[in-house]
Amino acid sequence: MRERCGNIIMDNAEAKKTPLYGEHIKMGAKIVSFAGFFMPLYYKSIIEEHLNVRSNSGIFDISHMGEITIKGKDASSFLDYVFTADVSKIGRGEIVYSLILNEKGGIIDDVTVFKFSESEYMSVVNAANTQKDFSWLHHMQGEFQKKGKDVSVENISDSVGLLSVQGPKSRDLIYPLISEAVKIGKCGLFDFSFEPKQIRDLKHFEFSCANFKGNGIEALISRSGYTGEFGFEIFVPADKTAALWNFLLKNYNLSNLLPVGLGARDTLRFEAALPLYGHELDETINPYDAGLEKYLSESKDFVGKESLKHVKNKEKRLIFFKLSGKQIPRHSQRILDENLKPIGCIASGTYSPSNKFPIGSAYISDAGVNPSFLKNFFIDIRGNFEKAEVVSPPFHKKR
Amino acid sequence: MNKDGLFYFSKSHEWIGKDSNSNKYRIGISDFAQSELGDVVYVFLPESGKTYRKDEKIGEIESVKSVSEIYSPADIKIISINSNLNDTPELINHDPFGAGYIAEVEPLNPADLNILMDDNSYRIFIVSHHE
Repeated sequence: MRERCGNIIMDNAEAKKTPLYGEHIKMGAKIVSFAGFFMPLYYKSIIEEHLNVRSNSGIFDISHMGEITIKGKDASSFLDYVFTADVSKIGRGEIVYSLILNEKGGIIDDVTVFKFSESEYMSVVNAANTQKDFSWLHHMQGEFQKKGKDVSVENISDSVGLLSVQGPKSRDLIYPLISEAVKIGKCGLFDFSFEPKQIRDLKHFEFSCANFKGNGIEALISRSGYTGEFGFEIFVPADKTAALWNFLLKNYNLSNLLPVGLGARDTLRFEAALPLYGHELDETINPYDAGLEKYLSESKDFVGKESLKHVKNKEKRLIFFKLSGKQIPRHSQRILDENLKPIGCIASGTYSPSNKFPIGSAYISDAGVNPSFLKNFFIDIRGNFEKAEVVSPPFHKKR
Repeated sequence: MNKDGLFYFSKSHEWIGKDSNSNKYRIGISDFAQSELGDVVYVFLPESGKTYRKDEKIGEIESVKSVSEIYSPADIKIISINSNLNDTPELINHDPFGAGYIAEVEPLNPADLNILMDDNSYRIFIVSHHE
C-alpha cells in the first residue's frame, strides 16, 4: 500500500507544536503536519468523532490558528479599509466574518474580527496564512502610519491557546463549569473595556469572558465554530491551555465529550458548506466566484473593491454535489459534463459521515453554466467516471 | 488482533497467510496499515480469476482522508474476493486478519513466500521505518 493523495495539505517543513501536543501524544492521536503544525488528525476514528459532534459534543485543539490584534485611535478606519466587511459597525463583544483581498480582488484570507472597542480589535486567521496575513497587515499599517494615522498590528498567535467545543450538548459542558459573575477588566490575555455578557446570554458571533470554576482559569469565550453546530471557542493563555483541555475532558460525562481531530473538523465544516482556505478559497479566486459577495460592504471603500468592479461577471462558479457511487472525490480532480468535456475542478471532496455517501464542491470554469442543467455530470476519479448530482448545501440536518 | 497460522508480510503492508479453518490462502492488509489509514469507506477489489505478479497493483482502499493502492504480496491467482467489503468496508479496520481479508488466493509459487517477512521481522520493520 502506498498513499497517493490526501485531502489535508501536508507539508514537511519544520512543524511547530501547539501547547497541547504532549496531550495529543498521550492520548494516542494520529499526528499529521498541517499548516506548519503537528496536529491530531484523529484520536480513534474520524467518523465516530464527527458523529459525536453532531449528536453530543466534541473538543478540538485549534491553537494552530492565528490571532492578530489591531489597536490604535484609527484601528476602526484601518479595518474598514483592509477588510471587506463593515467591521467597525459591529458592537463591542461582537464578531464579524470578513475577507481580506489583495489589490486584484483575490482572496488573501477569510477571517473573523472581534471588537473590544473602537480602538481595539482581534482578527482570527487561518493557520496556513498567519504569516502572510500579518505581513500584509503590517505593510498596510505602514501605509496608514505614513499618513499620520495611529494603528498598530501585532501577531499574538504564539501566546494564545485556542479550544473549540462544538455540538448540541456543548452548553451542558460549558454552563455548569463557569462562574456566573462577569466583570470589566482583565480576562486572561485580554482586557475588556466593556461589561461582558453572561455566557448563557451570548448569541452566535458574540463573545464574553469565562471564569472556569475550581481552577481560576480566565479565558475569552465566543459563540462560534466551524462545524455547523452550536458551540464555543475559548481563547486561553498558551501556558494554561493544557490545564483547561484536561479540566474539560475530565468533565466529559456532562456532554458525552470526545476529543476531535482535524479529520472530523474538515468533514464537519464541509457538510456545513463552510469554505476552507486552500480548497474553496485562494488568491486566484474572487468573492463572486466563491459565492461570498454578501461579505463585501457596499457602503465603504476597501482594498480590492475597484478591481472587483471589473469581474462582476462571474468567471467561475462554486457548486456542491453528491455522488451515487462509493469512491471519494478529492481536491484537484476534474469534473466532466455528460459529453465528458472537462468543465471544472474539485475544490473539496470527502466522505459524509452523516449521510454515508461521498460529497464534494467544485469550481465550474464557465459561470454561464446553469447548475440546474448539470443533471448528469461526472468526476474523473483516477480514470473512473463517477456520476454526480448537484445539491444545495448544507449536507447535515440543521437543528 | 488474533490470527492463527503463519502470515507473511510485504514491505507495502499487505499480508498473505493460510486460513486455519479453510486451509486456503488469503491476502489482506496489516493491522498497522489499517490503523494508519483510519476509517475505511471504500475498497476497490481485485478481479476474481485474475493472476497478479508480486507488487502489481490489485486494488485501492479509500479512507475518509486518503486513497491507498493495494499491491499483491506475491505472484497469485485470485480465487474469490471478499464481497462483504462492498457493504461493510470497515471490516478492514475491525478485523484486518480475519473478516476484513481482501481475497482468497492461490500462490503460484508457495516457496516464494519465504522471501516475505514473518510476523517478527514485520514488527521490527514497522518500528524501524515508522517510529
